[in-house]
Amino acid sequence: MSEPILKVNHLEKSFGTHQVLKDIDFEVEKGEVISVIGTSGSGKSTLLRCINMLETPSGGEIVFEGTPVSYRPKDKNHFRSRVGMVFQSFNLFANMSALKNCTIGAEIVGKKNKQEAEALARKYLKVVGMSAYRNARPSQLSGGQKQRVAIARALCMQPDLLMFDEPTSALDPEMVGEVLAVIRSLAESGITMVIVTHEMMFAKEISSRVVFMDAGIILEQGTPDHVFNNPQKERTKEFLSRYRQG
Amino acid sequence: MNMPATFFGWVAFLVEKYFLDFMRGLGVTLELAIIGTILGCLIGFVVGVVRSVVVDQGASPVSRGLMWVVKATLAVYVEIFRGTPMMVQATVVYYGTMSLWGFDIPSFYAGVLVLALNIGAYMSESVRGAISGIDPGQIEGGQAVGMSYAQIMYHVIMPQVFKNLIPQIGNTFISAIKDTSVLNVIAVTELYFAAKSVAGTYYKFFETYLIICVIYFVLTFTMSRLLQILGRVLEGSRNYELILDNEDEAEVTES
Repeated sequence: MSEPILKVNHLEKSFGTHQVLKDIDFEVEKGEVISVIGTSGSGKSTLLRCINMLETPSGGEIVFEGTPVSYRPKDKNHFRSRVGMVFQSFNLFANMSALKNCTIGAEIVGKKNKQEAEALARKYLKVVGMSAYRNARPSQLSGGQKQRVAIARALCMQPDLLMFDEPTSALDPEMVGEVLAVIRSLAESGITMVIVTHEMMFAKEISSRVVFMDAGIILEQGTPDHVFNNPQKERTKEFLSRYRQG
Repeated sequence: MNMPATFFGWVAFLVEKYFLDFMRGLGVTLELAIIGTILGCLIGFVVGVVRSVVVDQGASPVSRGLMWVVKATLAVYVEIFRGTPMMVQATVVYYGTMSLWGFDIPSFYAGVLVLALNIGAYMSESVRGAISGIDPGQIEGGQAVGMSYAQIMYHVIMPQVFKNLIPQIGNTFISAIKDTSVLNVIAVTELYFAAKSVAGTYYKFFETYLIICVIYFVLTFTMSRLLQILGRVLEGSRNYELILDNEDEAEVTES
């Protein structure tokens, strides 16, 4: 069996005395599309944020392509440049155009020259259907448009793994569709992804594996069919039944 | 020589007779304010940025210790310059350099130094505030693509901070114009100093100080108007154009 892209061993995270993640073991194989579901506060977002070290884990290790990632700024930054992240609140650079948002990482982190970076940016802005807006500032775009630019920005780093932290939670229902369509097309193109989401139908449809988190642990995981149609744990059934009703 | 009889007669007389002295004083005042503001803002930006540095938890103990010392030193500087009157700072710097190191710095340079350090202390606090006022998501956005702290600061945070601070820089400049007047204590020949000499000649204090009062006001008022216009220009256009150069565009945007 091939080496997993990402391996999380015994990951712990506490905020003060409140333990958010408890001894998490988690692996991502190349080409997988993993959805992480669970109630708010179950630790899904914290898991993603610990994986790319936006939060410093309290314990455990993260192994990327066989090498443990150290907390030294240089290692950490290199690791982050290989792992893309799309946020709930977009976090586009407010002082830059859509195009510049996409080129800046490739230029100053990826050490590409201006032409190469721009070519990449144009390519991925086209993938997300935003190249017409490349001169617009984030403040001039709608939520769905911002999120699509944010996805293009992450893609411009040509990451080995792309993580989404509730990418549609800040969007109105109409915009959710346009963003999910982009993510779906990326899933089909074979990019390795981890998606934290509350869109159950979407998770069921595009994932190769679904992870259900509850109270800081991974309670249950498996194929979408397993988790959605045949959950083993009471808690998982309870959680999913609420979505069915709704 | 016929002496003027009325109040306004005296004002007119003094303006006419000492026109060049007032203008020279005005020139020095402007020079001090401009150089002081520029240097002060530079100091303020550097100090504010350094004091805002978030030391990475993964950084080595040596660099963390070093950073602590630098930050503590800068905190002392800011507190001292914010906590003492500028007039006192001017005398301490001017006479202090002389008696401590036998160093006779020209009063103009001592004045510029004090003004710049003073503005720097205040400006650094504004810069710190402006940096912490930027949405933390901007930093996370940078971290997520692998940018270093310095790169995030330079490319993302500081351009936004600078834009937000432009009005503050304008205010600082206007304050600086007024604050230069206290530098007369170390005999910097700025506008207030010039007025003091003029007033003493004929013992016409009210008339003389009224003249420079008007000069100060006209100066600051003109400057604040100019800065307003500059602000509006820098604000830039809120319009942008769609660039429809590929056929498939329309279809994707509508989905």
